[in-house]
Amino acid sequence: MGEIRTWVVESLAMVRDFAVFMRRALRAQMRPPPFGELVRHASDAGVGSVLLVTVLITFTGMGLTVQGYSAFAKFGGEDMLGAFVGIGGVRELYPVMAGIIVGARIGANLAANLATMQISEQVEALEVMGVDPMHFLVAPRLWAVTLMVPVLCAYAIAIGLGASYFAAVAQLDLNGGTFIDQLRANVQWSDLAAGVLKGLVFGWLVACIACFHGYSAKKRDGAEGVGIATNRSIVQAAVACIVFNMILSAIMYI
Amino acid sequence: MSNPLVRAIETIGAVFRFTLQLGRCILTGPRYFRETIRVMELLARRCLVPVGLAVAPVAGVIALQGVQAFREYGVEGLLSSMLATSILRQYSPTLASIMVAAQAGSSIAARIGTMKVRGQIDALAVMSVDPLRYVVVPGLIACMVVTPLLNVIATFLGIVSGWFFAVPVAGINDGAFFDNLYSQVSPLDLWIGMGKCAFYGAGVGLIAGYVGMATSGGAAGVGRAANRTVVYTIILILVADFVIGTLLLNQGL
Repeated sequence: MGEIRTWVVESLAMVRDFAVFMRRALRAQMRPPPFGELVRHASDAGVGSVLLVTVLITFTGMGLTVQGYSAFAKFGGEDMLGAFVGIGGVRELYPVMAGIIVGARIGANLAANLATMQISEQVEALEVMGVDPMHFLVAPRLWAVTLMVPVLCAYAIAIGLGASYFAAVAQLDLNGGTFIDQLRANVQWSDLAAGVLKGLVFGWLVACIACFHGYSAKKRDGAEGVGIATNRSIVQAAVACIVFNMILSAIMYI
Repeated sequence: MSNPLVRAIETIGAVFRFTLQLGRCILTGPRYFRETIRVMELLARRCLVPVGLAVAPVAGVIALQGVQAFREYGVEGLLSSMLATSILRQYSPTLASIMVAAQAGSSIAARIGTMKVRGQIDALAVMSVDPLRYVVVPGLIACMVVTPLLNVIATFLGIVSGWFFAVPVAGINDGAFFDNLYSQVSPLDLWIGMGKCAFYGAGVGLIAGYVGMATSGGAAGVGRAANRTVVYTIILILVADFVIGTLLLNQGL
């Protein structure tokens, strides 16, 4: 029991530290961030993820269609495939996958980057020079990822729907026209807006979690500390995306 | 060397050779059982919470969304068979493996990377302990064994969470939910999920070991190794998932 208690206490302490960090980060975000840094990180997060998002979402969309088909075919519900793939993909799966992918690639990168700066005393050097590291390091990264993830989400939705259509027509031999009609009937602009809006939330969460773990890496842990920060930021970003997706969906549906 | 195609082929060859080496290490002794058990226990404890937190909310969302779609056709009683099949075969194995990759894969890669950067791997070799046998193989075996076990717990949690969102929250009939649940699910579905998990778990251990052993460049290299492991493993899992799904559909399973 003692072990569980220490675990709970440590987790609560981490949540408290995270809340404090979130407030500091929000305050740092309110001032205009350094523009050059912002552009550099935005292109890194946005353009750098396009290839990965394309490959992964293509397979996710095709997989969703094939799996959905085999689940519905069992009781003759093939007609519902378009509705399932359209709404499920646009509102839930593609935004969450985009969040997890960005968390695994960009978030982990940010965490490792900041942690390396922290353990090699570069952050302290900034403070000594009178530069606020929250404003100079954290704010541009937060803005860059928050602005880029919704764009990636919209892109992921487009790619995913294309992949679903391809799988339905080329692999499962369904009628393409019927599939598109089902999509048109079931997917509204509000669904697209919901997906992109989720991307905005996930982007900020992922970036904030990654910056928190990178920024609070301890100098005495050395190289190990970088690994710990990266690991925690990947896991917690993925869990945060999934849990917040459920909360947002529950609010929208109920 | 600068040609990306040549480099890609080189990497594939290196990974293949690494796999064969690991295979030889597993088949012949010496084996470090105690280290393997220790890593297994550590992984199971560390991954349990993330895996549960990943699968349960997704099942809830499928239930909520499924209720909307099924209600339009007036067949909301069938929701549970769609829910159970997709959780057992698809979402639970995939998400559990992705979370194992995120938690265990990145921490194994970071640990091996740290040892490599600090020269501990070389120190092991000097003491005539094969680092592959002592560091990489236990991680591989542990991932392969622990992932299917976590999948069972995750599947259970997923179905409970799906029930919670379908019956008390969305107001589906409790009896209809359970009747359709049992009518469509067979042990085969669970075995397919377990098999997928063992395969993906082996992929996690293999990629983490390979990327970790290839770490260079100090503390920043450790972060890169942890990051790369997760990205590569997620690519492997999603591509393999699609291929396996297609194969199963063609086999009529």
